[in-house]
Amino acid sequence: MSFVHPLALLGLVAAAIPALLHLLQRRVPPELDFPAVRYLSTAERESARRLRLRHLLLLMLRTALIVVIVIAAARPLVRLKGVGGGGGGGGAHEPTALVVILDNSPSSGAVVDGRLVLDRLRVAARSSIARTTSADRVWLMLSDGVLRRGTGEALLATIDSTRSAWQRLDLVQAVERAARLVEAQPLPGREVHVLSDLQRTAVATGHAAVARGVRVLAMAPGRSAANRGIATVTVSEGAAVIALSGSSAPPAGSDRPAPVPVTIRIGGGRGGGGRGEISARGLGTGAVTGSAVTISLPAQSLLPGWWVGEAQLEPDELRADDRRPFAWRVASPARVTATPGAGSFVAAALAVLQDGRRIVSGGSPDVVISGGEAFTGARVIVQPPADPALVGQANRALAARGVQWTWGRPGTPGPVAAPALSVINGVQVGRRYRLEGAGSGEQGAGDVLATVNGEPWLVRSGNVVILASRLDTAWTALPASPGFVPFVDALVNRIVAGEAEVDQAEGEPRVEFRTRGADTIAATAYGPDARESDLTPATPANATAALGGRDHVEVLDGERFVAARFSGTRRADVSGLLLVLALVLAAAELGVATRTR
Amino acid sequence: MPPGPQRLDLLDPAEVARLGGIEIVAEGVVEGFLAGLHRSPFRGFSVEFTEHRAYQPGDELRYLDWRILGRSDRLFVKQFEEETNLRSMILVDASRSMAWRGIPERLTKRAYADRLAAALALILLRQRDATGLVTFDEQVRQVLPPRVKAGQWTRIVRGLIDTPDGAGTAAHAALQRLTALLARRGMVILLSDLLFDRELALAALRYLRHRGHQVIVFHIMDPAEVELEGPPEVRFRDPESSVSVVVRPRELARAYADTVRREIAAWRTACRRHGIAYHHVQTDLPFGMALRLLT
Repeated sequence: MSFVHPLALLGLVAAAIPALLHLLQRRVPPELDFPAVRYLSTAERESARRLRLRHLLLLMLRTALIVVIVIAAARPLVRLKGVGGGGGGGGAHEPTALVVILDNSPSSGAVVDGRLVLDRLRVAARSSIARTTSADRVWLMLSDGVLRRGTGEALLATIDSTRSAWQRLDLVQAVERAARLVEAQPLPGREVHVLSDLQRTAVATGHAAVARGVRVLAMAPGRSAANRGIATVTVSEGAAVIALSGSSAPPAGSDRPAPVPVTIRIGGGRGGGGRGEISARGLGTGAVTGSAVTISLPAQSLLPGWWVGEAQLEPDELRADDRRPFAWRVASPARVTATPGAGSFVAAALAVLQDGRRIVSGGSPDVVISGGEAFTGARVIVQPPADPALVGQANRALAARGVQWTWGRPGTPGPVAAPALSVINGVQVGRRYRLEGAGSGEQGAGDVLATVNGEPWLVRSGNVVILASRLDTAWTALPASPGFVPFVDALVNRIVAGEAEVDQAEGEPRVEFRTRGADTIAATAYGPDARESDLTPATPANATAALGGRDHVEVLDGERFVAARFSGTRRADVSGLLLVLALVLAAAELGVATRTR
Repeated sequence: MPPGPQRLDLLDPAEVARLGGIEIVAEGVVEGFLAGLHRSPFRGFSVEFTEHRAYQPGDELRYLDWRILGRSDRLFVKQFEEETNLRSMILVDASRSMAWRGIPERLTKRAYADRLAAALALILLRQRDATGLVTFDEQVRQVLPPRVKAGQWTRIVRGLIDTPDGAGTAAHAALQRLTALLARRGMVILLSDLLFDRELALAALRYLRHRGHQVIVFHIMDPAEVELEGPPEVRFRDPESSVSVVVRPRELARAYADTVRREIAAWRTACRRHGIAYHHVQTDLPFGMALRLLT
């Protein structure tokens, strides 16, 4: 048995009132003269046994009456046997820690059968929270992953104001967090209600660890809709590559997916108002995940600078992924020269880039690649000197340039770790100097572009890029790797200028630029996670396995979901019965009190 | 019904008592009582036949002479001549328990008994019966031998007034002493709340009865002694013995009423068994009604 309002049980102290009144009343009775005391004594002697019994009975009845009323006020809950699924979720339940996960990720904005998926989920979430009592502890988790604790009214208001968000929700992680939270609560009931379209992509990241005693109820998804969306848009080599995602059913009478018309619109660039707009169309061969549409850009007509554009699909059931902005930089090829000490591999790479018009030579160079000797130029890429005796001199040259990094003692061999430079990631380094100095800030740790064994290997300080190894096969395998030329391309055209690649991030579709001083050095294109486009629901078996296993998880359709809520802790509120019992006790008390007068 | 003339014998005793002292009350009561009675309440007791007279409406049929009616078909009633040697002794219990009343608006039992005794004495003396008074509690307090001479009633009233409320009651001792005082056969009227040992008191009364006395007992009770009332819980203390008992009147009321009924019934039965007239009188009973019990 448990109680909805356990604090009301403090009222049981009142059960002592009848006994106290009895004692207090007995203590100071008024005294009156009465000549016929002998008759009184006779009457009392003859009815003493009956009166004692009556007093005891009245005391018991009155005490029981108070106890019953107090317990009724605490609303006791008694476990019901044989609660089936047809109960409609009626009845009370023991205090329960509940997390309602309302998956309002972008996919919840899909329209199925003329109705938003989110609307269906919202109704179920409202229903779950409306069934809670003040004895429950309730949290609401949306796709942002934040666990919101609040009163039922506050959470209902939150649900009412919830719209489809741009953030993807990893249901596996969400359920695991929610299960951990409710498991930590000292309440008899622990439940997690998952109200989601249960995309298969949302439960594909592993298996949630759910503690014993935690029930995870997931509402089975309704009918899904075919959808196609734009996963990413990247611009390279004068073409926009639009990667598609989603699931698309073939048109009626055909076993092949329908062609996908894609439109891109290139608008005014960063700070380049008045450049006009350019539209182009392409046709994809389908809409299954992994396919792409490539649309050539009129590169010659685009002035150097940052450009933004937007790719669009024709509207379908999920509008959130039908458009995606993108950005890229149109830049003139860098004018590059290498000092004699830069090495033969660098010279060979520059020759290749020159052939590909990625760089130009001659004239006043924009970028100088040095082999450790004294260097000049606006932007410099510096390798350590081949002769260790010249390292000190090279360090002094760096210091003279205002660079805080210096080459130190030789470091241990190891692979290159460069998350932002995938072309050199994992390349083995045999010889290197430790790059020392640094600190933080503009020329500090934030400019470490690659590491070996956790120590800086490629750093940037202002317009100077410093390598810990020479670009020579005696020092590193990089010159012999396929990524060497792209690496040198990135070094001279982008890295030395402080520019990063265009990042892709999750969020409302837009483009944000990052600046350093007056220069724009990076851009981030926001859009929904590509996995949101695939509306295919997980099978109940997959969902059950991913969200905690058969011992904890039930994936139920709407009615069964409603019936199963709180069923593990469902209790009958017997306060009504107790009030009836209180009436019976009151009637009995009245009868005993008046009958014997 | 239009209100008739005020008859003091039928009014509430407390109201009557407010009219004046014992003499005034007793005279008023007796006047009213006799006016409504048309005959002496004690006629027929210890008197002798003298003559016939014609029947008048209001005469009791028991005095109709049936022989004359049978012979002449005329209605005559027999008349009797009162004797003057009837000796009556009124015994008034003056114990402390008699000085009690349930509510201030009522007479105490003692005040009621005094006025009733005065009225009885006046009636008897008007019949020229020698009437005396004894007041007692644990002891005999006042003794006025039976006389018929003028001023006897005043002395009786004075004796009642001069007897203070006493202490406890040991009636049998007082009654035994009375047996010596009442040597000649007569009538003994006891006015008491009978809150004493019944067997001992009955022994004395039986002795009087054995000596040829006509014994009449007025058992005087306050209504509050008959129906128990009071606060939810109260300690009742016997003013005579100081014995106390804590009770809840509401829950003991029924048992108490049963006990009182049994006690009254026991007195009535015992008195009847020994030829003693017993009358239960409550202090809210009009004096005239109490006197009528004797007719």
